[in-house]
Parts: sequence; C-alpha cells; structure tokens
Amino acid sequence: MNDKSEHHWSFDYNYGAQNPQFTQELIGTLSEYNRGCYTDIDARDTRAGEAITHIYNILPNYWRGYAGGGAEASLSIGTVIVERSKQDGLWSYVVQYENTTSGEHLRMRFRCCDEHYRPLTERWRVDARNSGDDTYSELTCEGSLVEDSEVRLHINGTEVAAGTVDASAKLTCNWALFDVIPALSQTIRTSNDGIELTLLEDLEQLRPKSRLGFLASVQTPFPLEGYYVYGTGLLPSYWWLDVHGNIAIASTFFETLVLREKIGGIHE
Amino acid sequence: MNKRPNILFINTDQHSWDALSAHGNPYLRTPNIDALHRNGISFRQSYCTDPVCAAARSSWATGLYTSETGVPFNGGHLHPELSDIGQVLNVGGYRAFHCGKWHVPGRNVRESFQTLYYGRRNIGAGGAAYYDSASTHAVADFLTNYDGADPFYLQIGYVDPHDVCEYLHNHEEKRIPNPVEQGIVSEDALPPLPENFDYDARETVLHRVCRRVDDALIHAAILKGIREWDELHWRYLRWNYYRFIEKVDAEIGRILALLRETSLHHKTLIIFSADHGEACGSHQMFQKFTLYEESIRVPFIMACLGDEIPVEKDRFDDTHFVSGVDVFPTVCDYAGIDVPEGLQGTSVRPLAEGRDVPWRDYAYIESNYWGRAIVTERYKYVTEYKPKAVEDFLPPGPDAAQFGLAQLFDRHDDPGETRNLAEDEAYDEVIKMCQDKLLAQEAGLHRQEMVHPNPRRIISNWGDRLRSYWRVMDRI
Repeated sequence: MNDKSEHHWSFDYNYGAQNPQFTQELIGTLSEYNRGCYTDIDARDTRAGEAITHIYNILPNYWRGYAGGGAEASLSIGTVIVERSKQDGLWSYVVQYENTTSGEHLRMRFRCCDEHYRPLTERWRVDARNSGDDTYSELTCEGSLVEDSEVRLHINGTEVAAGTVDASAKLTCNWALFDVIPALSQTIRTSNDGIELTLLEDLEQLRPKSRLGFLASVQTPFPLEGYYVYGTGLLPSYWWLDVHGNIAIASTFFETLVLREKIGGIHE
Repeated sequence: MNKRPNILFINTDQHSWDALSAHGNPYLRTPNIDALHRNGISFRQSYCTDPVCAAARSSWATGLYTSETGVPFNGGHLHPELSDIGQVLNVGGYRAFHCGKWHVPGRNVRESFQTLYYGRRNIGAGGAAYYDSASTHAVADFLTNYDGADPFYLQIGYVDPHDVCEYLHNHEEKRIPNPVEQGIVSEDALPPLPENFDYDARETVLHRVCRRVDDALIHAAILKGIREWDELHWRYLRWNYYRFIEKVDAEIGRILALLRETSLHHKTLIIFSADHGEACGSHQMFQKFTLYEESIRVPFIMACLGDEIPVEKDRFDDTHFVSGVDVFPTVCDYAGIDVPEGLQGTSVRPLAEGRDVPWRDYAYIESNYWGRAIVTERYKYVTEYKPKAVEDFLPPGPDAAQFGLAQLFDRHDDPGETRNLAEDEAYDEVIKMCQDKLLAQEAGLHRQEMVHPNPRRIISNWGDRLRSYWRVMDRI
C-alpha cells in the first residue's frame, strides 16, 4: 500500500497539488459505472451474437506534458472501447484505442476461439490513424498465423515476419485479457506460478512467455481482485477484477484504464 | 541509380553501452539491435558529449560540444545562429526527415526537418509508452510509401528506455513493495546488484550537490523516495530497465524488417546510438547526470543490412573513441556534403570501413555546466570547475586555476570506478596528462555566453548552491 493513501500503489497516481486528483477521478469514474451496473455476469454467458462492450477512460499515470497543460476538467486522455460478440463459435473483437496525447487511434479487429485463454485465430487487422500535425496520418496492418507458428504482418501491403510462436504456446491478444482474466481467475489464484501466455500486443508485437498471476485483493475503493501480467519486453501491468466479473481497472506502466460503462450482457 | 545512400539514424534514450545482449549482457534480449551489430561495427568506446537528453541531442544536431551549443544541461537553449543537421542536409540535396523525440530546446524540429511524427502534444522528455509505437507506425508508413527518387536522411528518436525515469518518479510519493513482496517476480529472476554498487565518496562537489545531498539540485524527490530501498528494489530497477530496452528493441525490429522487405536495406546506412546512459544502480545512483561510465558511455553501431554500403561486419571496435559530436560529420561524409566550419566531430566512416586513420586518443565529456571528464585508454579523469564569483553565463574553461575536486580511475584495474586515485601522489603525472588534454580540448572550443533568460536563471540558482557548498568546504 501507499504509505500516504488507502489505495493500492498500482493505481494510485496522485502527485502533490495535482488538480484534478488522479484517484478522485478514478473513483468517480468507477462509481458512475457501479451506479449503472446491474448485471452479475461474465462475458461467457452472453447470448449468441449479442455484443458486450466495455468502455474505459484512459488516465495518464504521469502528468508531465502527457495530460495537456494546466488544470483541466478531466484527466482523461482518451478512451478504450472493447466490444466482442460470439458468432459461429468464435469471439469477434473490435477494440478501439484513442489517445489524445499520442494522437494515435487504433481500431483492432480480431477473432478468437471460444476458450478461456481466447486463442487468436484467422486473420486480424489494425487500422491506425493519427491526428498529429505531421506527415503520418494512417496505416493498416493485417496479420495472420502461418502454419500455427509464424506471425506474419502485412503493413500497408508489405509483408514482414513478426516472430514465431512455440507449438505449445497459448497465443492471444493483450486486449482479450479483459475476458481471459475473468475466465481464468480461479485457475490463476490456485496456481503458484500463474499461467504463461504469448501475447500479441496491439496485434503487432509478439510478447512470448508473458506471465499472468495473482497480485492481491483490496476492499477500497471497491472490492477488487488484482492480477499482474509481464513478459519479455513487457513491463508489469495490473488488472483489477470487480465482483461483477469485469476488469474495472487496468493499469499499465504509463496509463490506467478505468471502466466507465458496460453495454450488453444478460441483465439479471 | 543514385550513388548517395539513404541514412537512417536510429537512436534510443538513456541506453547504456552494455545494455545489449550483443555486448554480452545476459539479463536482457535485444535480437534486433544485435542484428545491427552482426551487420556492422560496434564501437565500444563511444561516449555521449553530455549525459542528459537535451544537451547530448544538441551535439547530435550541431556537431558541437554542449558548452558551444547553448544547451549544457536540460534547461539550455540552442544558439539560434547554429546550423543543424537537418538544415545542412536539406541544402545539400538530401531530404531530411525526423520522427519521434527531438528535445533540442530553442530549435523547432518542424522547421529543420520534414517530420513524420512528433506527437499530438509534441514529444517532450519521456513518454515512450505513448509515442514509440506511433513512431514505428510513422516510419513504417514512410518506408512502405517511399518513392526512392531522392536519398533520404531519417532520424528516429525512440524514447525508451527513458521511461525508466517515470518508473523512478513512481516512487516519489509512495512506497512500492519490492517485487518479491509483490509476489510477481522471484528473487532469482532479478539481475544481481552491479559490482560497483558501492562508490568512493570523494566525488566532486558538483556531483554531491546535484545528485547526493538530500536537497539535491536534480530529482531530489526521487532520491528521497528511494532512500529506503532494499537490495531487491535496486535489482528490480535493473530488471525493469532491461524490459524497457527489450520493448524498444522490438520497435527497432519492425523497422529493420520493413527495410528488408522494401529492399531499401541494400542502400541504407544505419547508425544506431543513444543520447546517454543510465546508472541503473551503479554507485547507488539512478538516471544519468553523472560522469560515471554507465551514464556517459553509449552504444554506437554503424551497419548496413545489405551489401551496397561497405561497412565492417560483426566487429567490435574497442580502440577508437567515438563521440556524439561525430554523428553530424559522419552523416555529411556519407551524404557527400561539406560540413559547416567549426564542427568538433570527425567522420567515423573510415573506421566503419576498416581503414586506419589518425584518431583522437581520448573522449571529452561535459556535464551539468561545470563538470568535465577525460577518458583515455587507461584512465578516466573527472573534475569540475568551481562556480565563478559572479556568473557571466559563459560556460567555464579552459582554466586550471578553477578546477575543483577530482576523481581518477584506472580503467584496466578498476573498470567499475570504485577507487578514486586522485589523491594518490603516484598518479600526479597521470592527472597532469589528463588535465593537459582537457585544457587543450577546451582551448579549441567556441564557447558562447548563454543569452536566453531561462537557462541563465537555472545556472544562477545552481551556482548559488554550489558556492555555498564550496564555502563550507573551504572552511573545512
């Protein structure tokens, strides 16, 4: 714990006279979500074809130039929308990541088998757009797993090898962790060493031997269970699961995603 | 076909020379930078001009030392009359492109280069997690659409592993358990403490006031936050640092793959370096700003992934001292463009081609305005100038009468720099030799008064603190 705060250090990024306060905004966003949350399901229980969508605010863990200048009404520097639905026995994901500091807007589409660790299958696609004032404005990247081992990407049509995956490796996308962690939470908790996955970060960067393990349980600001993920070339990130089975907070090294809204699922 | 090559200058930020698996470091994996080494020559006696971002980058941009550029510390401001590498290449018929981190205060990168990507809010000191993958996208977009009509010069400034600074800032106001307490990384997965974790306390006054004392001039809040770190915290800092480097190595890998697949690799010279290093626990220190090896010694690789540009392959050069001032003249040499008068650097091209040419026998480094170092094959001499009684904002030197405290290390017997020999009379001649080199080097510099009010204010404040420390020292 933070010596000066009741909140877990992995999502406590209050600094000095910061205004608005990081933790205050995090709790405010989560409270808003909790008020609207009347479901108690996880994504696996959805009806066929129905989309479930989680919307997250992106809070910058550090302020120096990343959150814009001066006091602002909100710390948020963007949005992540994770939408998925089950069709023909596969999970189809559409993830949109928009960051106003980098100017990068990624639209990532991929499909996964209906298993707990969401193995990546078929072709996937990233459409990147950038709102900066420079030459680069957009890029497309299509990918596939060739012969179950080689990740190949077509970047603006140019094919490049992006690495190989061991036959035994479980390959998934980091954005599927929003479902993988809830689905595997009990397995992770009972495992001494956690579980190993190979992540395809943003559908472009292979992160082999990524480890997923249990971190801690907290009661403030809400009852949450924490999990960690790290691997080669991957700094530890911390994922906090709420009592409804949703990832409420995902804190990577530089930014914290805070659940703002959930749309869809079976309402009880 | 145009005979002039494309030139790709890939730089990382805060990347120590030995933090590469190609250089034998077993605690990280850098397969893509290693590939540059296999396809080129790696200069392992390569030093930055000044161990902090803006200062070192001002040397890349101008081919000058930092007391000449107006940026002898992060708060400096580039002298407006100095030509930068983008301007010179554009005039010489090259298309000069920039992508990613620039960080040369006082010079608008968009006026000197065609910028592929410079962030929505402009890239500052850090923020690799936001910017580096976008930079790779921008370069990928450029390479896959490049028409090949004119040769290009493209400099890519990746921010990582500089984000290790934010890792340290994270400890300013909260206690974070060590990784074993956290339960996420086992102790045996962590790199050991560096062999030079201890240090000889007889450091320069400048170093103590900037980096050691409780109210240190530079990042005192971090210093306070890590005072109670245990061994595992320090080792975890190293573990994290290496993950940042793996991250940027993967970004570089995508660029190299695209170079190959677009067939640009045959006619593209690649220069890889870093602005400065990272202490990473050596001497119980963090970040840069010091004149210890971890902070000032950086990778410098020249490579061609194809076969049209003659470059030595798979070779280490442990003999020649390469400096950040050499980037500009090296690029101009390959581009066939005359360098502006007065540049301090020398083209490294003959060395990359395996030719025997006369070369400097030491490296000269400045730090925090008053700090100086001379590195020779055998010895490392570190000293400082005492602050002037009345600051005139002309960077100090050459003036032996104003030398303050010193450190001398035997690089053969004590590569970790833990035994300061400066007070040993047996080394008086060595110190005299190093001082002569330093003074001779500085006699050839074109130092200029800093005129911008912001750096003057900082130097004024720093000078006051140093003078008060010296008053105490002199009484003792």
